[in-house]
This record gives sequence, C-alpha cells and structure tokens, in this order.
Amino acid sequence: MSKEQDAAHAVDVTTSEKVVELLNQAALISTEEKLTVLKQVQELIINKDPSLLDNFLDEMIAFQTDKSMEVRKFVIGFIEEACKRDNELLLRLVANLNMLLRDESVNVVKKAILTLTQLYKVTLQWMVRSKVVTEMQEACWNMLTQMKEGVLALLDSENDGVRTHAIKFTESLIISLSPRTSDSDVPKRQEADISLDKIPKDHSYIRYDVLCEEGKSALEQLLMFMVHPAISSINLTTALGSLATLAPNLPPTLAKSQVSSVRKNLKIHLVAVLKHPCSLDYQAQIGTLLLDLGMAQSEITRATPVPREPRKRPRHEQYPEGKKIKMEPAGGSAIDLTAHFLHPLLNPENVANLVLISMVYLPDVMPASFQATYTPVESAGTEAQIKHLARLMATQMTAAGIGPGLDNKGDSKDVMAGGERMIKRKNPMGHAQAISVVGSYGEKQFAIEVPLIKKLPEPILPSAQTKLPGATGRKKVFRLADVVQPLLESQIETMTSTAVKRILNAEKTIIRVKLLSRLVTQFKGMMKEDVLGFILEDIRSRSDLAFSLLYQEYNAYLSQLPEGLLDGYDHCLYTLLSGLQEKPEQRDGLFTKLVLEAPIITESALEVIRRYCEDESRVYLGMTTLKELIVKRPSRQFQYLHVLLDLSSHEKEKVRSTALAFIKRMYEKDQLRDYIEKFALNYMQLLVHPNPPSVLFGADKDTEVAAPWTEESVRQCLFLYLSLLPLNHRLVHELASVYTEAIADIKRSVLRVIEQPIRGMGMNSPDLLLLVETCPKGAETLVTRCLHILTDKVPPSPELVERVRDLYHKRVPDVRFLIPVINGLEKKEVILALPKLIKLNPIVVKEVFNRLLGTQHSEGSSSMSPLTPGELLISLHNIDSNKCDMKSIIKATNLCYGEKNVYTSEVLAVVMQQLMEQNPLPMLLMRTVIQSLSMYPRLGGFVMNILSRLIGKQVWKHPKVWEGFVKCCQRTKPQSFSVLLQLPATQLTSVFDRCPELRDPLLQHVLSFTPHQQAHLAPSVMAALEAGEKPEVKPLERRVEATPTHTAVAPPAVVKVKVVEERPFQTHLPPVQSRLPPPVQSHLPPPVQTHLPPPVQTHLPPPVQTHLPPPTQTHLPPVQRKQPDTRTSVEEPMEQGPIDTGVKAKPDPTVSQVKVPRPEESSTPPAETTEEEEPMEADPEPSELNEPIGEADGDGAVEAKDGREAEEAE
Amino acid sequence: MPSHPLRVAVVCSSNQNRSMEAHNILSKRGFDVRSFGTGSHVKLPGPAPDKPNVYDFKTSYEQMYNDLVRKDKELYTQNGILHMLDRNKRIKTRPERFQSCKDHFDLVVTCEERVYDQVLEDLSSREQETLQSVHVINVDIQDNHEEATLGAFLICEMCQCIQHTDDMENEIDELLQEFEDKSNRPFLHTVCFY
Repeated sequence: MSKEQDAAHAVDVTTSEKVVELLNQAALISTEEKLTVLKQVQELIINKDPSLLDNFLDEMIAFQTDKSMEVRKFVIGFIEEACKRDNELLLRLVANLNMLLRDESVNVVKKAILTLTQLYKVTLQWMVRSKVVTEMQEACWNMLTQMKEGVLALLDSENDGVRTHAIKFTESLIISLSPRTSDSDVPKRQEADISLDKIPKDHSYIRYDVLCEEGKSALEQLLMFMVHPAISSINLTTALGSLATLAPNLPPTLAKSQVSSVRKNLKIHLVAVLKHPCSLDYQAQIGTLLLDLGMAQSEITRATPVPREPRKRPRHEQYPEGKKIKMEPAGGSAIDLTAHFLHPLLNPENVANLVLISMVYLPDVMPASFQATYTPVESAGTEAQIKHLARLMATQMTAAGIGPGLDNKGDSKDVMAGGERMIKRKNPMGHAQAISVVGSYGEKQFAIEVPLIKKLPEPILPSAQTKLPGATGRKKVFRLADVVQPLLESQIETMTSTAVKRILNAEKTIIRVKLLSRLVTQFKGMMKEDVLGFILEDIRSRSDLAFSLLYQEYNAYLSQLPEGLLDGYDHCLYTLLSGLQEKPEQRDGLFTKLVLEAPIITESALEVIRRYCEDESRVYLGMTTLKELIVKRPSRQFQYLHVLLDLSSHEKEKVRSTALAFIKRMYEKDQLRDYIEKFALNYMQLLVHPNPPSVLFGADKDTEVAAPWTEESVRQCLFLYLSLLPLNHRLVHELASVYTEAIADIKRSVLRVIEQPIRGMGMNSPDLLLLVETCPKGAETLVTRCLHILTDKVPPSPELVERVRDLYHKRVPDVRFLIPVINGLEKKEVILALPKLIKLNPIVVKEVFNRLLGTQHSEGSSSMSPLTPGELLISLHNIDSNKCDMKSIIKATNLCYGEKNVYTSEVLAVVMQQLMEQNPLPMLLMRTVIQSLSMYPRLGGFVMNILSRLIGKQVWKHPKVWEGFVKCCQRTKPQSFSVLLQLPATQLTSVFDRCPELRDPLLQHVLSFTPHQQAHLAPSVMAALEAGEKPEVKPLERRVEATPTHTAVAPPAVVKVKVVEERPFQTHLPPVQSRLPPPVQSHLPPPVQTHLPPPVQTHLPPPVQTHLPPPTQTHLPPVQRKQPDTRTSVEEPMEQGPIDTGVKAKPDPTVSQVKVPRPEESSTPPAETTEEEEPMEADPEPSELNEPIGEADGDGAVEAKDGREAEEAE
Repeated sequence: MPSHPLRVAVVCSSNQNRSMEAHNILSKRGFDVRSFGTGSHVKLPGPAPDKPNVYDFKTSYEQMYNDLVRKDKELYTQNGILHMLDRNKRIKTRPERFQSCKDHFDLVVTCEERVYDQVLEDLSSREQETLQSVHVINVDIQDNHEEATLGAFLICEMCQCIQHTDDMENEIDELLQEFEDKSNRPFLHTVCFY
C-alpha cells in the first residue's frame, strides 16, 4: 500500500518537476515549440495527473495574453478540457473565457465560441447536478448566460466565419434547451448530454421555464437570421444544416453556383428530415419540395419511411422541438382556407390571365438564381398540381395580408363578407393587385421563384403569428386605398409642382436640399425640370442643391441595380453641365467640381465636356477637367483619354494645340503612354489609305468617297504623332514605314511638316541615327529631308556623318545623302564626291556650294568646311573630265565666282598661282584667269605675271590652254603686249594667226620703243611682227587722222562714235605714256588729265600693295622688273570706268569685249536685267545677285564659247 | 493566415487519378494533404468499358500494378494506367476510402458532384463532437489524365490562395467566386462540422 503511495508520489514529484521545467521553457521559446511544450503540459496535468491541474492552472492561463493567436487558441482548448475534467474550475475559468471571447483575433473568437458551445452544456449539467447552488455558481451561470447572449448577438457579426460559429452555437443551445422526446434523434455519443427534459422543474436556481423561453428566442433569432436577405451562402448552409429547414427565399446576392450548393444542402437535409419518422404528416409537402429541387420521385419514395401507426405526439410542446418546428402547421388554417377558396377558381382561363398579367412584372433578364433553380413543372394540369398551385398562391396572399383565409381568421364574422368581396374582386385587377403587392416584397423574385416560394411561409409564419396574433387581421381593417379618391392626373401634377416650388423658395430651411433632391428623384416628371431650372438660375449659390440632386439620382440608380437605368442621373448631369456651359465665364471651377464629383460620367456628360474643350474660350478649363478625369478615374481613363486624343486633330488651332500640350503631359505617365502612342500611330497609319478615311471628317460629316488628300488632312493625321515624336524618338521608325507606303502628295506634305519635331529631336537622337543607318527602302527622301533639317542651322555631328557615310557607301549610293553632312566629311571624300555633286540640279549644286563655302549659315560655321574656298575651286579644276562634263564644271566654277565675298582677289590669286604650278595645266586655267581678271581688273599685273610664266612653261603645248592664253592676251592688250613679245617667234605668229588684229597694235607698240629697246627684240620676233607690214602703214595713217584709235579693225562708220567714246580710254594711257613714246602723250586732252590724277593716286596703289599676299609678291618681281610701272597703269582705268559708262550710250561691240565688263563690275550692283536672265539658267533661286555676272555681261559670250570649246574638246 | 499548413483532403471516386494527381502536386507545395476515394470499390479501366478492373480499398497500388502487368502490359502501358499506378505507389501504399477516415481536415476538395454528395452525406451522418468546421468544395474534373493535371493545378492554386487568406472563413466565399469566374467552372461549396 505504502509502496504504491510512494510510487505514486514519486511519479507526482517527477511529473510536477517536469511540468515546472516545461512551463519555464515555454515562457522563452518560439510559438511553435511553445505549442508543443504546452500540449505536453496539458497532457500531463489533465490526463496523467489531474491533481496537478489546480497547481498549474494560473501558469497555464497566463498564456492567454500571449502574442500568438495559436497560443491563445490553445489556452481556450485547455480551458475546455480543464473544465470538463473538473467542473469546479468553471468558477475560475469562465471569466477568462469571456475575455477570450472578446479577443481581437477572429480565430480566437471562433474557438472561444466553439468552447462555449461545449461548456454551456457542461455548466448546465453541473448546475443541475449540484443540489445546492452557491453564490459563486450563480455568478458563474449569470456570466455564462451573458456570454450566451453575446454569442447570439454575434449572429450579426460582420465576419462570415464568426457568424457560422455563432449559428452552430445557437443550434447546440437550442438542442440543449429543448426537451428530448422519444422521436428525437440523439447521436449516441451525446446521449448523456443535457437537454431540457433532464432539468428538474423544481431546481433551486435553474428555472425550467426561463431556459425554455431562452431556447425559443434563440430559435427565433436563428430563423430571423436566415430570412435575412443578405445572408451568405456559408451561413445559409450552416443554418440549413442546423435546422434542416429554411425559407430559402434564396437571396439575390448569391451566385449561381452558390445557389446550387445551397439547394443541394437543402435537399440532403430535407431527405434527412423525410427519413425521420416524425415527418410523416409532412411527407407530401416535403415530397413536393424535393420534386421541385429536382429529385426523382423514385428517390423520394425510397427515402420515405414506411408509414407507421400514427401516434399521438405529446402535445405539451408548444415549445418548438429541435429541428422540427418548421412543420408546425400554424399558418395552416389561413393558408389552407385561402387555398381551398382558390382551388376551384384556377381554371385554365384564369390561370392564363394570371400568367399574362404577371408577365408585366417579369424582369428583362432572367436572374441567375432562377435559371439555376428552374425545373419544368412536370405534373402541370393535374389535380395535385392545381392544389399545389392554389396553396402557393394562398401562401403568397396570406403573406400579403389578403384572402378569405385571413379574413376568416381575423374576424370570423367576416367570413362570408370576405368571401364575397374576394369574389367581387375576382377580376384580373384583383389578381394584379395581389401580385404587385407580392412584387414589392421582392420585385424580381416573385415570378421567378414560384417553385421555391412555398417554403417561405412555414418558417416565417409561426414566428410572425405567435408574435403578433391577429396582426394580419388588423391590416385588413384600414386600407387607405379603400377610403381615398384618386386625384386627377392634372391635379396631382399641379399640386406636386406647387409644393416643390414652395420648398424651392424657402431657401433658408436646412433640410430643404435633402428634401428636394429626394422628392425630385422619386417623383420624376416636370418637377425635375423645374428644380434643374431653378438651380441653373443661380448655380453658384445653389450648387449644393445641384450636388445633392445628382447624388440622389445616382443613389436611385444604385438601388435598382442591376436593371436600373441611368437615364435620370444622366439627364440631371447633362442638364447641369450644359447649363453651366451657357453661362458666361466662370472662375470658381464649378464645372470642374461638378464633373469630378459626379459619381459617374455618362456618355452625354462626356459629350458636354467635349463641347467645352471645343469652345475656344473654355478650352483650357475643359481640358484641365478632362485631364483630372483621366488621372482620377482610372477605371475609365481610356475613354476620357480618347476624347482628348480625338481633340488633338481638331480643326481649331487653339483646341488642337491645347490638347496636344495636355497629351504631352499625359504621355509621361506610363499607364497612358501605350494608349496614346497607339492612337497616334493608328492615326498616322491612315495616311497609307489612298483617300482620307471618313474618321478625319468627324462622324457627322458625310464624306465624299473619293476626296483626295489635302495638306490639311495629312497634317490632321500627324499632329499628335509629331508632337509625341520629340518625346519618344522611337516613333520615328513608324513614320518611315508609313512614309514608304504613302502616295506622293502625302510624302510631300509629310516632308513639310516634320521640320519642327525633327529639329526638336536633334541629331544626337539614337533613333534618328538608327533611321539614317537603316533607311528603309522608299524613305530615302524622308531621311534626306531629316538630314537637311538637322544640319540646317548647325554643323553635323560626327556620329551623324558616320551614319550617313555608311549609308552612302554600303546601301544607297545617292550622293544627295552627303549634302547635308558635307561639312562633316573629310576633304578627300568631298573632292571625290564633287563630280557627282555638281551634276545635280542647279539648285542643289548651289546649296552644296553654300554649305561648302559657308555662305549659308550665319553662325560662321564655314570654318567647319573641309575645303577652303581656294581648295574647292582648285579641286573643281582638277575634276577628271571623264567623270563629269565640262559644262557642269564650268557652272560650278561660276557659282564660285558668284561668291565675291568669298572669292576675293587674293583667293583667286592664290588659286591661279597654284593651278599654274600644276602639271599638266588644268584645262580651265585660262578661263579662270580671264574670269578673275574681269572680276578684279587690278589683278591685271598679276595676270601678266602668270601669262609670262606660262610662256616659261611652254603653254602652247596645251592646245586648250594656249587658246585661252591668246584670248587672254587679246583682252588684256595693250598690257599683254610685253608678254606677247616674250613669246618665241613661231608662237607669236601662231597668236597672230588666231588673232590677226593683235599684230598691228603690237607693231605700233614696238615701233614706239626707243631704238635701244627695240634692239632687245629678237629679229625673228620682229619678223613675225612685220610679217604683215603692209597693213601696218594704214594704222599709222589713221593714227594721224583719228588720234586715239588702236582698234583699226573697227568699221569706219563707227569710228566717229568711237572717237567720242574712246576719248576716255585715252585716259588709260597716261601713265603708260609717261614711259611710252611721247607722241601718244600729246594726244591726250588736257582737261581729262587734270581730272584724273588725284583719284588714281589716292586710291589705287595702296590696296594692291597691301593686299597681295606675300607669296604672290615674290612671284611678281620678274615682271615688275621689266615693266615696273605696268601695274599702276593697268589699275588706273578701273577707277575711270564708272565715269565712262556714264558717258557711253552703247559700247562698240568690239571694244566692249574687254572694256564693258570693267565698269559693270566695279559698280557692283548689276543691272536688273542680269537677274532676270538668270532663270534662263534653270536656277530659279535669285538669291545670289553676283553669281551670274559672267554670264549676263559681255563675258558671257566668251564663256559660252569657252564652254562650247570645252565640250568640243571633250 | 493560419499558422499551420492547411489540412487538405482531396477526394475522388477511386483515389487513383484525380485525387492522386492533386495529392502529388499539393504535397510538393508543402500542404498537409491526404487523398481519398468515396466509391465502394476501386475501379480501373479494363479491356472494355463494361469490363473494368475492380479492386477493394485494401489492395495496394503495387499489387494493382503487378496485376495489370500480368493481364495486359501493353494495353495498360499505352493507356497510361501503369504509369499512373507507378506514380501512386510512390506517394502512398494503397488507396484510402474517405468514409473510413476519422481524421479532421480544414478543407475537403472533391472532384465530382457525386463525390461531393457522398462526402457531405458521410460528414453529416457523423456525430458532431468538436463542432470544428470543415469546408467542402467541389471542383468538377473529368476523369482523364490531362484534365486531372489541369484540375490539380487549379486545386493547388485555390489551396494556396486559401492558405494565404487572413481569415479563411470570412474570405473563402469571395475567393471561390473569383476562382469560379477565372476558371469558368462552377464550384459547390459548403461547410460541415466534426
């Protein structure tokens, strides 16, 4: 014995130690381990050694404040176990449970409810068992009762799960508080559980009847809960399971599958009920229900138990007994009576009428629940079915408070009268009324749920009728409709509208706004117009009414979902918005506010906003509002955005540009970007159509099918795109692809409009570079245009040049690509490209030269040009005539000469100098020399120098150059005489062959030499000179007659004129004369001489000397040494030129060849004729005045001839 | 979010194809999952539609495998039955019958309406003790390999979503609605109590 005790003690000690150790551990470890440890403790102290329970209770309960939800749940479980083990502990633990029942975590609450379910029974049993109830026990029970109420209140919890558990609790509560009968289905395990019948009616504390009432009220609550229209499917099924019965007024909030889940449950439970022997009385009803639920008759029969001997049920149950109360035939009398009454009336005709009438109330769309639950009526027309139908209707009518059954019940004296009345009202109107009343109960459900609705009455009515006995009867007593006379339509209208007006005018009343908006929304009609008009009269101060009205309309719409129409709301919003638009300028942003605060923007409201945007004076306001909408109403932002995008191609410039500005800002938002882009591209894509699509003209304008593209319509397609382009360079590729497909007219327009955006992109844009690099076939012109735009103002970047070079070399060898970047190319490349370049259209060539010469960019980027002007001219001379025809080259050089600012005398001098040193001599050398001379006569000395050096180079070996040489000499006589004299005799003869008129003056010239000078001349030269001695005499004679003439060739008739003319020319000579023989000098008329010297002296010498570049000067000396004064003498005439022209009327053709150009050139502004002649040269660009000089004046002839010669040479 | 992994049961009629496929996937995703059949026997396709192979629930997958290999290896390789059995025997030894399992679950997923009915019938016929709730969801899956795989993924996704809810009982309704819309098949759903 003691051994056993010892052993027990030993166990005790170890267990208790172990528990202590475990509890200590538990305080420190993580939740998961804690649970394991605590479970061990629970096992130890509850099962292994309950005596320890008391010791460690507090320690365990302390965990109820643990952070972890799981631990708290565990504590609840522990409480349950502990209390079951030792009921006394309830006294201590019930308060803790109460605390946990209010836990913040739903899961803990649920667990607590479950535990309470168990403990309630345990407590009740314990209370019943204890004969003497202590105060403590009383307090405990009171608390438990409170908690029970608390849980029942949780039936209204917001949480689905909590509600589910509350229902379950209620179920258990009801069962516990109901007496168990012999029919009750008691699970074996719960056999021992408490139930009402085990409670002694004479218990000292627990009152039988109180508990009974509590049970009833709990049941009522549960029933109420189930008919709640917003019940969730889970709650519904739970509740179904709890009661196995229900008024499956299947809430419209359930989805189709939920409906079927619920129906399935219903079926299962109904079958369970059916199987129960007590259901015998209701088998027929349950059978019909199950049939409606789609169960086969055979199954029902199978489930129906064999009828037993009907037994008397102990009828002391005015208490509902568990699951079966719903079958209480409480409403039976009224319904049955009505059904009975209706039955004979249901002949086919009446039924057909009924159906037709009720059609009106059917919803437009078949609700999901109906679709899910509908089963065809199988037994239509049979007696049983008619009975069933009669009963259905009776149920409805009873619920609605009409029908003979009710009358009967409410006032027995009325039975007959009620019947008569019903019969009187048996017209369709009566039925319609009944239906509409029902309709208002759940408008859409009525017709739909006919098969289900019959389940409605039984559960509801018992409670309704026990609660309000006779209430339904009273309803009948006063019926408003019976005592009032309908007003005339017009009366109603006037009354309402005057009423509304009175309210409208009572501006001070506080509730007025609410009142009005409610009224107006509920009663449509003209009141609404009145109120809207009223608001619009002074919308500033009445905006609150406006908003209230709007919200009310919206509310009305919401409450009618899903079938409700927005019409009322739409109309209201539309009227307000468009009313605002008609008002003058507004600054308080009421419009924006209205739009932004409206719950929904309808189509027509959007239309008004659009109108705002299109109104030039309000475009900004409209678009700001639209922008706000886009930003703040993301669900429909694309719809709003679309409007904005649409406006971007609007015909009004202001609207368009504002829209574009807004879109650009929107474009920065990622979520809108794609849409905008797509829109822009789609719009641009329209360009590939052969004719402009009708979208462009707006929906209202009917299009002529074949309207051609116009500049305007093309631009319309591009506005948006082009404004996006600088923001997203990637888009440029799309343009290229559209461009290639578009027709020529569009291409032209496109090229015109892209300037701004392309410039905006800049030449460093990688996408632009990529475009250049890839240059899709067909988009060459586009690319070229882009290049031009880019390089128009600034020199090309190296990257761009690189891309273009690549393109040119590898893909499209069109030299035109190079033009825009020509200044970025290397010298070599330019020279290489020159032959091709100068063959292009003259306008283009002109541009090339402008670029090369830097005459185009005002910013002085000419320094960027890879070629100096001199180099350019030289390379032109060096173009291989096989690569390019001479004419183009000549034209190109002419362009150079036209740039007098660039090709100054110095530049030309350097060019000539360098050309001359080449070998072989360039073909155009002499032409350039002549040209230079005609441009800058003061180069005469330099030219002479060149000429004489050419002699050194045996110029006669180059036939073309030689020809030019002779020509040059001819033009520059008499200066060239000294050069000519340097020629070997044979060549001199050749000169005379070509140009016989030179001989005579030259001879004269030689003859004027001093004998000493003449001695220097080779005899062969003299021979050549004198080869034509015979005619030489003549000039001499003439010289006597007409002093000044050296141009002996001139026809005699002209001579006289010439005398006048030539006189000035004499003045050329003075300086020469001073060195030359005096006879000439004597010819000079004194007045002229006095005229001239001053200008000559002051003007000329310095420029030449200072200007000429040193290298030139070094070359010059040989000539200077021989004829030191030639230079000055040559230069002088230039100054005199202008004076001459003033005198001259018409120059002698022969003389003019040399002389006319001078005056014209020195007086730089050329005659207008030159300009007009230019176009003939196929150069429509009259910009450069100087350019065609050579062609317009006398030299033109020479040049043309030269050109021809050159061509011939080719 | 429940701190413990959901206890899930996947149920089809024979505990071979649909439930096992889902079992396979769910256990890989870390769920505490078991699978069951509700039929009275395990039926596998036979040489003709009217000649199925019938086993009782005590037969292990291994035995079925060997039996079928013996009967017609080629046929059962070709229709994928052997492959399926091979997979099954690696998951567990033998099929289990839902009605004979007394363990508690948080979630029971059935693969067919008939199975759903049987599960509900079984659950409601049990005596209620703890009143612990169990959600029963039916997802219709056709009984072939492809549908089974698709269905298993759907079930898995659903379980994952449920596992991640903060308050499963409160949110499951909406969650299932969403799934219903997404997968475009109707779900049956109810709650039972142990």
